[in-house]
Amino acid sequence: MSILEVKELKKTFKTTPIIKGLTFDMAEGEILGILGPNGAGKTTTLQMLLGILTPTSGSIKVFGQDLANHQSEILEKMNFSSTYVDLPWRLTVKENLTWSAWLYNIPDRRKRLNQIKDLFRLEKQWSMPVASLSAGQKTRVNLARSMINFPSLLLLDEPTASLDPEVASYIREFFANQRNTYNKSIILTSHNMAEVENLCDRVIILKDGLIFGNDTPANLAKKIEFSHLRLRVTKNMGELDKLIALRKLEVVKEENNYTITIKEQLLPLFLYELTKKNINYTEISIDKPTLEDYFMKVAKGKLL
Amino acid sequence: MKLHRIWGLFLRYFYNLLRTYDRLTDVFFWPLVDLVMWGLTSRYIAGSGIGSNQMILAILSGIILWIFPWRGQYEITVSLLEDLWNRNLVNLFATPVLFSEWVVTLLLSGIFKGIISFAFASLMAVLLYATNIYTLGILLLPWAGLLMLFGWVFGLFICGIIMRFGTKIQNLAWTSIYLIAPFVGVYYPISSLPNWAQSVSHFVPASYVFEAMRASIYDSPLPLTDLLWPATLCLIYFVIALVMLYSSYREILKRGLISVE
Repeated sequence: MSILEVKELKKTFKTTPIIKGLTFDMAEGEILGILGPNGAGKTTTLQMLLGILTPTSGSIKVFGQDLANHQSEILEKMNFSSTYVDLPWRLTVKENLTWSAWLYNIPDRRKRLNQIKDLFRLEKQWSMPVASLSAGQKTRVNLARSMINFPSLLLLDEPTASLDPEVASYIREFFANQRNTYNKSIILTSHNMAEVENLCDRVIILKDGLIFGNDTPANLAKKIEFSHLRLRVTKNMGELDKLIALRKLEVVKEENNYTITIKEQLLPLFLYELTKKNINYTEISIDKPTLEDYFMKVAKGKLL
Repeated sequence: MKLHRIWGLFLRYFYNLLRTYDRLTDVFFWPLVDLVMWGLTSRYIAGSGIGSNQMILAILSGIILWIFPWRGQYEITVSLLEDLWNRNLVNLFATPVLFSEWVVTLLLSGIFKGIISFAFASLMAVLLYATNIYTLGILLLPWAGLLMLFGWVFGLFICGIIMRFGTKIQNLAWTSIYLIAPFVGVYYPISSLPNWAQSVSHFVPASYVFEAMRASIYDSPLPLTDLLWPATLCLIYFVIALVMLYSSYREILKRGLISVE
């Protein structure tokens, strides 16, 4: 069942088109990543999905209802967290979560607040003003606030930015668990490609206000034909340099460490040639293409 | 409109009042400063034989009643500014909160803090000058209501301007109501103004309240029907200010709420 349907969404600021026509949907229980280089329109898209930015044209349906006409009802079942939006900083964590809980009319508020406090490990910060928290702690409070109403659809804008690796990993697991256990739908933007690759079922790549790619992270990565072959060469480096030049391959060389970019289907032949030319190496690894490789190619315009 | 959301928003502003010395200062300190300065001045004038005890009551009552438009306006605009300074406007409107619920909460916050300041200032007037504003009786209620409405008009109007143009004009939050203050006649009768200024005062609803207050003190209370015209005028201004604020809100939704922060 489709939880979100976006049709021909456009946004123009003055005369500059930022979003030029997005059409996509999202299934219940799906984790959807929205990626794109800076200025691609990710934040603009998220703002329109939250109803805090009016689209120039197009439609957004959430839970089968039109967002423009049923915003308040829809937002009761949604929530969001962004690193770029603050909570009132003089209020304590508890006070911030309390007034937020009232907005959503949470039944048994005290119990829910205690659950949230435990889930996001906020015991120590509970009575501290938001202003006195570190960036990572503020992010955790923001995430806690976004879960206060147990939302069916959650929009997360860079959820793990500024979190230390241990907490970031815990938060990733938490959201994966929310989806697996409660069938929550999550839209995620992040600059952490590994995070997107691990968490998201599907990724939409935006570029210049248009959808450039819309597929699973694995399928997007497959669109890159090149792998990285890493070698630590111990003998006949000159022969290897000649071979690389002959095959016109991209290479990054640091002393005797080579990183060669090569099409996957040419790999067996290339390795055979190394043996034939008596080029010896002590270490070898082959990195398959990743979502990051795909993203980098899109960002640099090499897939256009 | 949902009451639980209005209560949630009200709590947000209430917590902020408790946690912010600036806001506590607004509620208690400034009314006290005005009361001390003007109270001593009027007492000195009364003692010199020029004025009278009635004059002390008129001036102190003016100061205390002025709290309502001042708090009404100030609360609305400073609450908006707090949200802008905290980059919290998105947090408010990306929730189920309706624009009307937000506005109602701002108005209620104004009443709440206005009543606290009024009660505090009137108590201080009794303690410092043995002057009891409550001798003016039940008339205080319609006067306070009209003055609060007048403050809301200013508050909503200035809020609309700040929403549209951003915090670069935030000074209006503190200064705007004082632009109209000379035409209100808080401390002096409207008849003491030049003719052109008296004409302006006709269109300032608050001026009628202070005239009525002075009439009650020096002469006899004016009939309540005398407040019909200023009340109607104030309601018209209120509707215009609401429309203006709503149109600013729609406008910033086109630019994005984040843009105004």
